[in-house]
Amino acid sequence: MRKLVYIFLGLVIGNFTIAHAQLDSIQQLDEVILSDNKLKNFSKGYKITVLSDSVLQKSNGSLTDLLRYNSNLYFKESGYGMVSSVSFRGTNASQTAVVWNGININSQLNGQVDFNTFNNSNYDAVEIRSGGGSVQYGSGAIGGSVHLSNALSFKKHADHKVKMSYGSFDTKRANYQLSTGDEQWSVNFGVGYVDSENDYKYLGSNKTNVNGQYENLSFNVNAGYFLNNKNVLKLYHQSFLGDRNFSGTRVAPSKSRYEDTNHRSMLEWGLFHNNLSSKLKVVHLFEEFKYFENKDAEHYSFGNVKSFIGNHNFNIKLNDAIEVRSILEFSKYIGEGDSFGSPEREAFSATGLLRHQVSDAFIYGLNIRKDFTSGFKSPLVFSADAEYRFSDSYTLKLNGSRNFRVPSFNDLYWKPGGNLDLLPELSHQIDLGQEFSSRFFDVKVNTYYIKTKDMIQWIPDNTGLFRPQNVNKVKSYGAELELFLRYHINGHQFNLNSGYSYTVSKNEATGKQLIYVPLHKANLNFSYSFKAMELVYQHLINDEVDIIGGQLKGYNVGNIGLAYHYDVFENVNSILQFNINNLYNSNYENVALRPMPNRNYQLQLTLKF
Amino acid sequence: MTLKKHLVLGLSLVMLSFACSNDDNNNEPEASGAYENGILITNEGGYSQGNGSVSFVSMDFSFAENSIFSKVNGKLLGDTVQSMAFHEDLAYIIVNNSQKIEVVNRYTFESVATIDAGLNNPRFMTILLGKGYVTNWGDGSNPSDDYVAVINLETKEVTSTIPVEEGPERIVSNGTAAYVAHKGGYGQNNIVSVINPNGTVLKTIAVGDVPNSLVFDNLGRLHVLSEGKPSWTTDETGGKLSMIDVNSNTVVSTLEFGAKQHPANLAYEGSLYYTLDGDVFKLEVGSASLPTTSVVQGVSFNYMTINNGVLYGADAGNYTTNGTLKSYDLTTFAAKNSKEVGIIPGGIYFNN
Repeated sequence: MRKLVYIFLGLVIGNFTIAHAQLDSIQQLDEVILSDNKLKNFSKGYKITVLSDSVLQKSNGSLTDLLRYNSNLYFKESGYGMVSSVSFRGTNASQTAVVWNGININSQLNGQVDFNTFNNSNYDAVEIRSGGGSVQYGSGAIGGSVHLSNALSFKKHADHKVKMSYGSFDTKRANYQLSTGDEQWSVNFGVGYVDSENDYKYLGSNKTNVNGQYENLSFNVNAGYFLNNKNVLKLYHQSFLGDRNFSGTRVAPSKSRYEDTNHRSMLEWGLFHNNLSSKLKVVHLFEEFKYFENKDAEHYSFGNVKSFIGNHNFNIKLNDAIEVRSILEFSKYIGEGDSFGSPEREAFSATGLLRHQVSDAFIYGLNIRKDFTSGFKSPLVFSADAEYRFSDSYTLKLNGSRNFRVPSFNDLYWKPGGNLDLLPELSHQIDLGQEFSSRFFDVKVNTYYIKTKDMIQWIPDNTGLFRPQNVNKVKSYGAELELFLRYHINGHQFNLNSGYSYTVSKNEATGKQLIYVPLHKANLNFSYSFKAMELVYQHLINDEVDIIGGQLKGYNVGNIGLAYHYDVFENVNSILQFNINNLYNSNYENVALRPMPNRNYQLQLTLKF
Repeated sequence: MTLKKHLVLGLSLVMLSFACSNDDNNNEPEASGAYENGILITNEGGYSQGNGSVSFVSMDFSFAENSIFSKVNGKLLGDTVQSMAFHEDLAYIIVNNSQKIEVVNRYTFESVATIDAGLNNPRFMTILLGKGYVTNWGDGSNPSDDYVAVINLETKEVTSTIPVEEGPERIVSNGTAAYVAHKGGYGQNNIVSVINPNGTVLKTIAVGDVPNSLVFDNLGRLHVLSEGKPSWTTDETGGKLSMIDVNSNTVVSTLEFGAKQHPANLAYEGSLYYTLDGDVFKLEVGSASLPTTSVVQGVSFNYMTINNGVLYGADAGNYTTNGTLKSYDLTTFAAKNSKEVGIIPGGIYFNN
C-alpha cells in the first residue's frame, strides 16, 4: 500500500518516469515519502545513506547515538547528552548542513548544529548525503548534509504508536505518534519527552557525572491537503525545548545550565500541471539559547535568531530524459543577543538544477547557484554529478562541487571580537563512489578530496583579543566503506550494516592532522531475528585523536539489545526491548576530560495500534 | 586572558574550532623535583580544556621543565591556571576554572593541600600579615557577588569573605593593607579597593577604566595602570597611569594615554615599564609626561615583569600551542633568552 502511495506521489510530483535505481540504498525506500525530493532526484552522483523508519524505531538514544553507530560520521560529545558536534569527512562542526524537510537549519548564531537537540522519534527518515551540497542546501554543506524528513501518506489510515523506556541514571523517554489521513488529506503528530539524571559513574575514579541532568520536550505536526488533483497544501512544524545542565570536566566543576528553544514551521503550496510543477514555501525558524552560568542564579545570557524564508521551486520536465528546476530563495535573519546586539542579515539566492537521463544506465546533473548576502560577497557555487550503472550489481558515482560556508552571527557580530570583514569559507571537492550489490550484500566505497580555504578561525590579535579571521587552508581526503549484508534461512534472519572511514584532514600550513579528527573510525550493527525474537549488537571503534596539547586515546564501545515482538490484543502490536549500553564497561571520553557513561541498562516498550 | 574572553571562546565556539592542530607531545624526562633558584611560569591552558600547567625555567635559561605539578604529583593540575602566590616554603596555585587552590612545596612541587571550598572564580592572591587574600569574581554574570576570600594559611581554609565591587583582579600588599585592582570581570570597572587586615574595605579609589596592573615603587607609592575601555564597548576610553599615596589613599597624579591607547603590564624596578601596541616603554617615576619612544619593539606579552635588571615576558603565541618565556637585558634592551613553556603562559614568578 505504501508503495502505491509513493507511486502516486511520484506521479503527482511529476518525476516518476525514471525508475528509482534499486542501488540507491537497500533500505526500504517505499516506506518513506520524502518531503524533499531533490535529495533523490538531483543527487544521483552522491552517496546517500538512508536510515529508515525501522532503524529509527530501534534506536533508543539521541540523534548523536543514531548517527554515530549507523554512519561514517564522527561526533564530539562533551559528555553524554551535552553539546554534540559532528565532523563529516574531516570537516569542522559548521561544515555539515542539517536539513529539515528541505530547509537548512544550521544555527545562524554559530553555524553549527547540536545533534543532541533532536528527538529521533520525530522523523520518518534520516538521510546522510555525503559530499558538497551548497548548491542545493546552501551554506555549510561542505563535508555533507544530514537530512531529517517527515513523510505524509495519503491513504486511509490511522496509526498510533506509543514508545516508553526507562533506564539507568533515571532516564525516562516517552513518545506518542499519530499518523492519519485518507486520499485527500494526511496528518501526523508526534510528541516526545526525555528526562535523565545522567549521573553516571566516571570509571576508574570515585566521581560521578555531576550537573549533567537533561530533559527535553519535542513536538511535531505535519499535514497535507489536496485542494484538487493539481494543488496540494502542506504544513510542517516542529518545536524542541531543551533544558540541560552542563556537566563539568574531570578537573573543572560546573554549575551551569543551558536552555534551547527551537521552533520550525513551513507552509508549502504545490501546484502540478502536466510536466510542470511549482512549489512555494514560506518558512519561519526560531532558535534561542539561554545560558545560566549558575543554574541557581537568575543571571543568564541569551541569543536568538528569527529566520523568515520564502522559497520557490519551479520544475519542468522537458522530455522523458531532461528535467530542470529553478529555485529562488529569499531569507531574512533577525538576531538579538546580549553579546551581539540586534543585527539583521538578508540573503537571496538563485539556483538552477539540471538532470539528464542519457540512457537507462547513465544520468548526469549540472547545478549552479549564486547567493547575494548583505554584508559580504558569496561565491558562485556549482556542482556536477553523474551515475553510471554498469550492471545491476555495479554502479559508479562521481561528483565534484564548489561549496561555501558563510560567517555566522557570532563570527560577524560577537562583542568583543566579531569581524565584519570576513569572507565565506570556500571549498572545492571531488568524490568518487562505487556501489556493488547482490542479493546478500551491498557495498559502497567512496574516496574523496576536499580543499577548503579562508577557513574562519578565532585567533588572538596582538592584544590577546580573539577575533575570527579567514586564515586556514585545510586539505582533507579519505575513504569510506559501507557494507550491508543480509541472509535469511528457515526463518532466521541475519543483517549486518557496518561502516569504516579513513580520514586525513590537515592544516596546510602546519601539515598536521586537525584536532578531533580520527584517522580511523568503524561502526557495526548486527541483528539476528527468529520468529518474535530479535538480537541486536552495535559496536564502535574510534581511533586516537589529536587534541590541543596532546592526544586523546581511542576507544571501543559495544551495545547489545534483545527485542521480543508480540500482540497484546488483536491489532495491538508490541515490542519489548532490553538494551545494555557500553556492554564492556569501556572507560572512554570523546572530548578530553569528559567521560562517557559506564555500562547501563534500558527497558523499552513500543505499542502500535 | 580574562574570563570574558574565555566566555567568548567557551560559548561562541562551544564546539571548538577544528582548524587548529596540536603540537606533538614531547616525551620529557622525569620530574627533577628541584625548583629552587629558577623561574616558575603559570600556564593557563585552554579554558575548559584542563591543560593548565606550571613550567620551571632555570635563571640562565639552560634548563626548562614543563608540567611540573602533574609530573611530581601524578595528577592534572586543572583548568585555567590563573596565578600563583608564595608564602614561606609554599606556593599557592590558583586554578580559576577548577575553583581551587593547589598548595605545594615551592621547591619540590609536592602537593601539600587543596583548597576547594569557599572559592568562586578565584583570580589572584596576596599575603598580608600571615593571611592569604584571594580575589574572586563570584559568578561572572553576577556583578554583585564578588569578594575577597581570606585564607588561614595554617589550616589552608577559607575563613571569611570580604564583599567587594565588581571584577576584583590583581591584588598586592605592602604589609599594612592589600590593594585590589577591579578590572571589572565581564564588564569594566575603574576602582582600586583598599582592604584592611581586619577584613573590611577601607576605601575604594577611583582610577582609570579597567585597571590591569599595579606595583609599589621604592618609596611605597602605588602605581596603577588602567587600560581604558576597549573599542568594542562603543565607549572607548584611553589608558591612565595613576599614582596613589598609600597614607592618604588618594590619587596624587595621573598621566593620560591617547584615547585609543590601551597599555598593560606595568612593572617596576627603579623605573616603571609597560607595554603598549607591541612595544615596551620605560617611564621615570614622577615624569610629567609619557614617553614617546619605546625601549623594546615587537613583543606580544601576555604578562611582563622585571627581576634583577632583566625584563621577562610571557608570549602566548597562538594560544593553542606552547608559549614562550623571553628575557631582555634592561641596560641594553637586547633580547637575551627564550624558552618554550606551556599553553598560554600568564604568570612569571621568581623562586629564590
